[in-house]
Amino acid sequence: MTEFLQHIVNMLILGSTYALLGIGLTLIFGIMRVVNFAHGELYAFGAYFVYFIAILLGFNFFLSLLVAIVAGGLLGALIEYVLLRPMRGADIDTTMLIMIGAMIVMQNGEQYIWGGVAKSVNTPFPQAPLVIGSVSVSWLSVFVFFAALALIAATYLVINRTKLGKAMRATFQDRDTASLMGVNIQMIYMATFALGSSLAAAAGALLGPVYVISPQMGNIASLKAFAIVILGGLGSIGGATIGGFILAFAEEIGAGYISSGYRDAMGFLIIIAVLLFKPTGLFARAERIG
Amino acid sequence: MTDNKKFLAVFAAAALLSVSFATQGLTQTIKIGVNEPLTGPFAASGTYVVNGAKIAADEVNAKGGVLGKKIELVIEDNKSNPTEAAAVAEKLITTDKVPVIMGAWGSSLTLAVMPKLLEYKVPMIVETSSSGKITTSGNPYIFRISPPSSVEAHAFKDILPKLHIKKADFLVINNDWGRGAAEDFGKVLKANGVQVGYVETMDQAAQDMSAQLSKMKSSDSDTIMVTTAVEQLTLVLKQAAALGIKKQIVTTGGSQNPDQLVDQAGAAANGTFHLTTFAPWFPESTPDPVATKYFLGEWKKRGFNFAGATESFRGYDGIRTIVAGIEKAGKAEPAAIASAMWNVDFTGLNGKIKFEKQGPAGKESGQSIPNVYLIKIDSGKIILPKL
Amino acid sequence: MKRYLSWIALIAAASIPLWLHDPYILNAFITTGIFIIAAMSLNLLLGYTGQLNLGHVAFFGIGAYTSALVSLGFDVELFGGFRVVHEPWPVWTGLVMGVIVSAFCGYIVGKLSFRVRGAYFVIVTISFAEVVRLVALNWVELTQGPLALTSIPPVTLGLPGIGYYDLYSKQSYFYLVLVVIVISYVIISRLVNSRVGRAMVALKENESLAVSVGIDVTSYLVLAAVVSAGIAGAAGGLYAHYLKIIDPDVFLFLYTVTMVIMVVTGGKGTLAGPLVGGLIFGFIPVFSRSFVGPELQWIIYGIFMIVIVFVLPQGIVPAIEKWFANREKPGLSKPAQAQVQDAP
Repeated sequence: MTEFLQHIVNMLILGSTYALLGIGLTLIFGIMRVVNFAHGELYAFGAYFVYFIAILLGFNFFLSLLVAIVAGGLLGALIEYVLLRPMRGADIDTTMLIMIGAMIVMQNGEQYIWGGVAKSVNTPFPQAPLVIGSVSVSWLSVFVFFAALALIAATYLVINRTKLGKAMRATFQDRDTASLMGVNIQMIYMATFALGSSLAAAAGALLGPVYVISPQMGNIASLKAFAIVILGGLGSIGGATIGGFILAFAEEIGAGYISSGYRDAMGFLIIIAVLLFKPTGLFARAERIG
Repeated sequence: MTDNKKFLAVFAAAALLSVSFATQGLTQTIKIGVNEPLTGPFAASGTYVVNGAKIAADEVNAKGGVLGKKIELVIEDNKSNPTEAAAVAEKLITTDKVPVIMGAWGSSLTLAVMPKLLEYKVPMIVETSSSGKITTSGNPYIFRISPPSSVEAHAFKDILPKLHIKKADFLVINNDWGRGAAEDFGKVLKANGVQVGYVETMDQAAQDMSAQLSKMKSSDSDTIMVTTAVEQLTLVLKQAAALGIKKQIVTTGGSQNPDQLVDQAGAAANGTFHLTTFAPWFPESTPDPVATKYFLGEWKKRGFNFAGATESFRGYDGIRTIVAGIEKAGKAEPAAIASAMWNVDFTGLNGKIKFEKQGPAGKESGQSIPNVYLIKIDSGKIILPKL
Repeated sequence: MKRYLSWIALIAAASIPLWLHDPYILNAFITTGIFIIAAMSLNLLLGYTGQLNLGHVAFFGIGAYTSALVSLGFDVELFGGFRVVHEPWPVWTGLVMGVIVSAFCGYIVGKLSFRVRGAYFVIVTISFAEVVRLVALNWVELTQGPLALTSIPPVTLGLPGIGYYDLYSKQSYFYLVLVVIVISYVIISRLVNSRVGRAMVALKENESLAVSVGIDVTSYLVLAAVVSAGIAGAAGGLYAHYLKIIDPDVFLFLYTVTMVIMVVTGGKGTLAGPLVGGLIFGFIPVFSRSFVGPELQWIIYGIFMIVIVFVLPQGIVPAIEKWFANREKPGLSKPAQAQVQDAP
């Protein structure tokens, strides 16, 4: 039983960060229909950025996190402006290829600048873990959990309670009508991409200190983000959140009780199952297929 | 252009060409191929090995080279993928015409290169790969200086009683190296009265091992044996500490880079044991203290990260082995070098380098048996434990 | 002029081993050729039915493993203690089995995945590829997992009793790959230009309309998946016998990316596209290797991708075709043949 409780705690923390990744991508993939393989690179960027200003420049850790999130958003806006805007209207696989190209350039650029050796970030949190009964968890992870939830809540508020969010939702539902109603589609696209990217950078900034930072860290983040988006349904923030936790649950329980070798397969098997029985994902509103 | 100018241009071009051909004839070097991953998931390790190789090459050249000529390393990136490893081998052998190669770091990369060695009859020194198949496939052009896990496990037999292990769980990286270690060490443990509990794997790119560790936390073992590289090992140690695991942790494989562990895992690394094949912290305990100190001095002079010394020494020893082979052969030709390798006998940084025959009769590969050291991390320092 | 172009290209390609004596470049041609075959099969799905299969490398890998296992033999225990033992068979049967098993997997994946479209299809295919990779990695008894299947025999053609011919040299392997390229090209071209092919394109353009006209969409998509998977399986088999070792690295996502790059930059929906894109992106690493350092080689590769897609979003081959069309008939706004163009 105690083992099970520990798995649940692990799952909650993992799930919150997966949710962050998933929400960022569901905005980009869901609204803009961009198969954004560079999403993982924004995640890595967030982590390296925190490393750069917190460790190399010596700034305050929490401040570094905030700055990394903003920097991620700016980088996202830049990518949208330079690479995606000129190709608006191109096929889904053409834009995907551009994002793959961006991913290759960014990843190898990171290796060129920082080298392939992993970097670690020290945080102001104590090393000794927090122990409640037989469940043990590090303070940093607790912080990450709450920070992730806060960011998810903030995103939800932005999307559902602000004018910008309303415009985004309108664009997602029906682009042409939104445009006719006076929504500046170009701005919305840039803002959406920037928001999604900043969430990816946030996930990286939070997780960089938990794990280690290396140029390859973005690859697995991208793959999981796509899985979560599909589980939750394109464009659904609530769906992506729950999807993140479901994936974490499948991995923890799968690896803990079934087989660690197939741990990563759990998530994908669930996706295949979900898509076969509910093709629009678990939580999307009914969507025209295609 | 006027006729005169045209003539001058052609004459100048011809002159330049002939000069370049002439000087090519004068500056001849002995080329040594280096096939390592410099980009992709293994880039960090490949780069360490290449830097170690460069130190060896410079040292050899400073002493006048070999057979009266300088050596030149032809370094190519195999991008951490087997197709490229084979293509790089092809290029080194056929375009650069190297008589001998060092490579290719990872076992699947080395296995992909092996058919090319058979095809062109060029020998290769394997400096890191640990898969048993490499030396038992009947490829007489393979000479390995790094130990497969069976050798490591065999050496562990003597250390085992001092660690007082009654039951051990295994947590290994899900590739041939990790699985091989679980199997070979498992056999040794069982043969010496120690029980083996869980055997769990971690995907090569995985960063979160909390599920596997939580399972082990509740098991009745007293020790967790871990085999993986430093990056993932840092995560294992940190996550084990976060979960409050109090068991003894013993790592194997030789890619732990303990200084990096101390640096990045901090307190989580204290109390852990590591089986390594090189002990740069205790040069006096190494088989050739003079060479060790020289190597470490050069490494530091070039501004490299000390933690990498536990991987880069393989590049250093690999090149020195090749040079020894060329010397014994008397000429820089593949067939001569391949047969001369069996006569190589010198002291590398981690043990005697002398090849034993392994594999099917008539087509044996060479395997040298290095030393194995047990070290412990205590209060942020690396010590030789007194057990 | 255009008709003769393909014959000229074929003769030029066939002549390569006769004058090219550099084994390194010949090796590059062979591996590039193998990936071109896989790219052509991806083009069938992506270019002609409009579905993006990002798990295509799974079929490639399944073909590779099948062919290797058939020619090496295996011995596994299935559920219930039931033992399956297979003796090594001649290599060419391995290649054929590779095609069949892959095609069968294409059938299953097609039937299951084509319940969804677009972005969802993309993710299902990625998931499928990941699951296959993990099975190959963990089912060590059958696939040797990360320990790799080694000593895979080279391709031999022949029949028992008549005699065998060993394809060990690079030259003969080059011709084998070229033959498979030609066969695949012909199959795809026949398929695409038939009624079936036109139906596929119709459903790419406008699925609801196609359905309303009575086209059985799923059947056509599944057919495309089967052919596509089979051809990819052939490529995988060739790869296994050339490299002579297969391990789960054959399922690297990087290989799918390589194939997609070849198809999209060359021109999806055109027959020559994957060939052109394949030659360019197969050889960029070969040539950049001599000039720049490792990370820069990749960065150049990435930049090339972005630039070509920016400048020629439809791909290189359609751009060339358009250029020829404009030259031959100045003043006419559209070429005379009816061509199904991608929607703007």
